[in-house]
Amino acid sequence: MNWPQRFEAELVRLGVQPVVARRLTADTAAQAGEHDADPDGFFGPAHLYARHLVAELQTPAAGTAPERCVPGQVMLQLSGVGKRYRRRAVFSGVDLTVRGGEVAAIVGANGCGKSTLLRICAGLTPPSCGTVHRTRRVGFVPQDGGTAGWLTAEEHFTLFGAAAGMVPRKAISTGTHLASLLAWRPSRVQPVQELSGGTRQKLNLVLGELHGPDLLLLDEPYQGFDQGSYLDFWRQVRSWRDAGRAVVVVTHLLHELQNVDHVLDLGAVAGRVA
Amino acid sequence: MTALVVAGLSAREVTRRRTAMLLVISLPLWFYLVRRDLTGQSMRMLTLGIAWAVSTLTLFVVNASRGVDPRLRVSGASVAGIIGGRLIAMSGFGVLLATAYLILVAIDQDIQRFWAIAVTMLITALIAAPFGSLVGALLPRELEGALALLSVCAVQMLADPAGLTAKFMPFWSGREIGTYAVDGTGIEFLWRGLAHGALVWALCTGLTLAVFARRLRLARYPEPVPDSR
Repeated sequence: MNWPQRFEAELVRLGVQPVVARRLTADTAAQAGEHDADPDGFFGPAHLYARHLVAELQTPAAGTAPERCVPGQVMLQLSGVGKRYRRRAVFSGVDLTVRGGEVAAIVGANGCGKSTLLRICAGLTPPSCGTVHRTRRVGFVPQDGGTAGWLTAEEHFTLFGAAAGMVPRKAISTGTHLASLLAWRPSRVQPVQELSGGTRQKLNLVLGELHGPDLLLLDEPYQGFDQGSYLDFWRQVRSWRDAGRAVVVVTHLLHELQNVDHVLDLGAVAGRVA
Repeated sequence: MTALVVAGLSAREVTRRRTAMLLVISLPLWFYLVRRDLTGQSMRMLTLGIAWAVSTLTLFVVNASRGVDPRLRVSGASVAGIIGGRLIAMSGFGVLLATAYLILVAIDQDIQRFWAIAVTMLITALIAAPFGSLVGALLPRELEGALALLSVCAVQMLADPAGLTAKFMPFWSGREIGTYAVDGTGIEFLWRGLAHGALVWALCTGLTLAVFARRLRLARYPEPVPDSR
């Protein structure tokens, strides 16, 4: 396939209507032609430019406020939550309320307890003090691990689908569809241990979302992502938010905080404890 | 349903560990061959080899799932579904392994109470799965778990079967029923072995479930109060 064909195929794979993809491809080729340049040299690799263009098209024009849905019911409410390991207090007095249609970011330095707080939200670690109110349907994406190396992606969909009461066929089709939103087509035979780190994280992300949770807890889920996947990820976060879901994401990429509704600086909270 | 899916996928996972599978399947054979000329000894060694093989493989499977299990719990799976499914898969593997070696014994040895040898091997395989799972639950690293299993099997092999130490070992039942099968002893050997085997199986299964129920417990949070907005 030549560059325009690869570009058009990638656009379609990213969910652009075929007619629109064809028009964009023609426009792009014409633009390169005007400069008498080879598209590969002018725009870079076809699949990356396709992702870049899709992300650009979905970004609201400058000066216009992004369309946002009204925040819904409370999905997660932390009041005075603290965690202590023996004598060492990790953090205390954490308050956070996240409603449906909102994104909250937990930031802070290494070791300040971001992952611990997320595990508390998931119910995997009990808090030492404070109260947690949380919706029942929750998806948890850990920072690393969380997959079985000898199983394929489809088998993971089946396994996690069964845990949530889904029949295998539905779990596989849902997982495959969610993977396509991250521009990933899972192999039927490749065990997870042979996937790259970034692709494993995509699997992690899909598994967290597979059963359609109301609240998504994401612990730096973009580790190992390339630029295109990273853009896909934040696009996905926005689509979850627009669908009325609540998202809590642990991050230390401060330039992304413009995309979130609440920022909890756990480093500052931990600093108060120390 | 979760248990059956976990069982099926655990079985697939095991079959993909080809090198480990080959070593584990062949391990009882070496135990058997070194004492092939002595029927009683070869049966005891073979049974112990099956115990070691099944429990070690179960240990590996349990440890490999350590990162997945909490996420399955968050997604809605029960502890019984996850751990039960894995035990079903590994017990099934143990029964298959024992059956294969039973065929070898039927061809290669002349044993008066052959059916009792079948009971010996099957009960050993069935105990080995929850025992390996329990060791995996208590010792989080594969090396530590494998060394613990090695120690147990070594003590089981060397301890006087009439002594107290041997009776506290998990695979003593196989030894007792094996003696009944090969040496033609009284029926009390069979009953003692069956009772010991049932007790050890129940203990290992119960403790495995208890350890994982604690480790995989989820905090129960109340749902937020709906507001009027």
